[in-house]
Amino acid sequence: MEYPEKHRQIVEELMNGRFILSRENHFDELKQHEQDFYVPFFQNSFGHKLIITQEYAYLVSEETDENISRDISIFFAIFCYEMDKQGKNFLDGLQYSEHSFEEVNLLFETSSFIDLIQTNKQIKDADARRKLLFNTMNKKNIIDKINEDKFTFTPAYKVFIDFAEELGKTRTTGNNIVTTEE
Amino acid sequence: MIKAEPKAILYFIWNYFDVVRDLFDTQANEGIIRKETLAVILDKHRKDIKSQLIEYKIIRPVNDDFELRDVYHKLIEFVLFEFRPMLPEEIEKFGNSISELFRKIQEGIAGDKNILIERLIAISGQIKEFSDSVEKNSIRLLSETRDLKANVNRIDYKEKIVKASFWIQYYISPLNKILDVNHSESISNKLLDISEYANQRQLNFDDEAIRKSFQKLYYLLRQTNDDLLRQSNILTNELRPLIERIRTENLILTGWIEFLKNPYKVVPTKLLKTDTDKPFSTKIYLNTKEYFEQFTHAEEAIIEEEPPKVERWIFKKGHYKKKLVEKLPLENFFDWCNEELKDETNEITNEKVFALTGLLFEEDLVVSFSDKNETTKIKTATSNLNVPKLIVKRNGVS
Repeated sequence: MEYPEKHRQIVEELMNGRFILSRENHFDELKQHEQDFYVPFFQNSFGHKLIITQEYAYLVSEETDENISRDISIFFAIFCYEMDKQGKNFLDGLQYSEHSFEEVNLLFETSSFIDLIQTNKQIKDADARRKLLFNTMNKKNIIDKINEDKFTFTPAYKVFIDFAEELGKTRTTGNNIVTTEE
Repeated sequence: MIKAEPKAILYFIWNYFDVVRDLFDTQANEGIIRKETLAVILDKHRKDIKSQLIEYKIIRPVNDDFELRDVYHKLIEFVLFEFRPMLPEEIEKFGNSISELFRKIQEGIAGDKNILIERLIAISGQIKEFSDSVEKNSIRLLSETRDLKANVNRIDYKEKIVKASFWIQYYISPLNKILDVNHSESISNKLLDISEYANQRQLNFDDEAIRKSFQKLYYLLRQTNDDLLRQSNILTNELRPLIERIRTENLILTGWIEFLKNPYKVVPTKLLKTDTDKPFSTKIYLNTKEYFEQFTHAEEAIIEEEPPKVERWIFKKGHYKKKLVEKLPLENFFDWCNEELKDETNEITNEKVFALTGLLFEEDLVVSFSDKNETTKIKTATSNLNVPKLIVKRNGVS
């Protein structure tokens, strides 16, 4: 049996929870063999669902990594909220801007959600935030690290923004939000 | 009737433009220029020009207050590029008059030539006003929407979405309808019909003057249709997406705020749970950090002086009893104690004296007081003991 080119790289990265972006060469390979190979491959081999959009691809599993997802979501939530509070356009900020860690750090230092920040190990202080951003999110391909201070967000941020938008729709239509069991 | 020269009026406006601008802003904000406000503005600029403002018909009295005359209001509005957003209903009235004039032009095409020319001039005027109104509205709506997007006034996000919805509902959507060429009832569509009609008539009409009037109308409409298309594009490509984006942003923010209320009760977006077997703990970073941190701050060293050596003295009962027995009979027990302790230890203490006193309770010794009730003094490290003079003898034998 012949495997698609860059098969090993595709599988390794996706299985490590990394987002593969459309600008990367192996994305085309993945996209090309999406339905005929990769979707059934991940489903039958590991029980994972392959999600491919125009801009990125990633895997989700039945047993999901809620902690990392929640920590990253809290990061984006506070980032967007504080940017908006300052009158800045957070969607443009996510999509086009280069960010400095120091500036982002300041958003958290002066945030009104300080209680939440201080009780979350992944964002409680500058060291933790740096690790979440430059280590966890960088490894997952959610940010592009330019140097020790600068970074940009990759299109993978949209997974979290879509999540917020869905929550917002649920909120405005008055439906109950799905909550974890007590 | 204005007595002043036209140039004098224009010079006056040029010279006192700051005052006129303040009057314009006041009217834009308050709808009228109160007499007290007028006095404040004139006082602020130190210009006593109220009589000229009235004489040149720049302002007119409204009861006790004033307002800028329409022609000057429009002039200032135009030069400042600060237009009041017009309701689509105000713009639509041009559509009605244009339609009516077009109907009459068609009906009277074979009738009186002079009235036909007048109607052609009138319809051109209405088309120009319509086009100007649309352009001014687009400029103002774009400015309002951009301010809203940048949140210049730092308003609450809920208020922002209310405002965005307001602009869409009452201004942008109706204006879009007016400009939509695909909509049969739109004014733009009507102008296309007129343009086609004028094009035909400019080519095949007997009277040259009327032919030229149609030609003018045709060229005007070509220009107008281009302008309207441009405005329509601004609406479609810039204004509506901008407003939609504000809506989306607010939906996202609503979601995030809901999430942040209690992030631990909301199921976050699904990600892959990776099964990575690492030869080290997942907490290695924090553990190592903690380990090294304990050495980063050396504890303060405190040097304590050693306490002076205390002589460790053990009462050797057998030894002292033997010495006591050798000295029997003793006339003064405590003198003996004093001498013994002086000889054998560095220091006489209460403890040592009392320990030796214990020998008096030995069964083979008899203790008695001297007849004279004499006492003896023993000086110890901490006290001066005044003790009775005791006679000690061997029991029975002595």
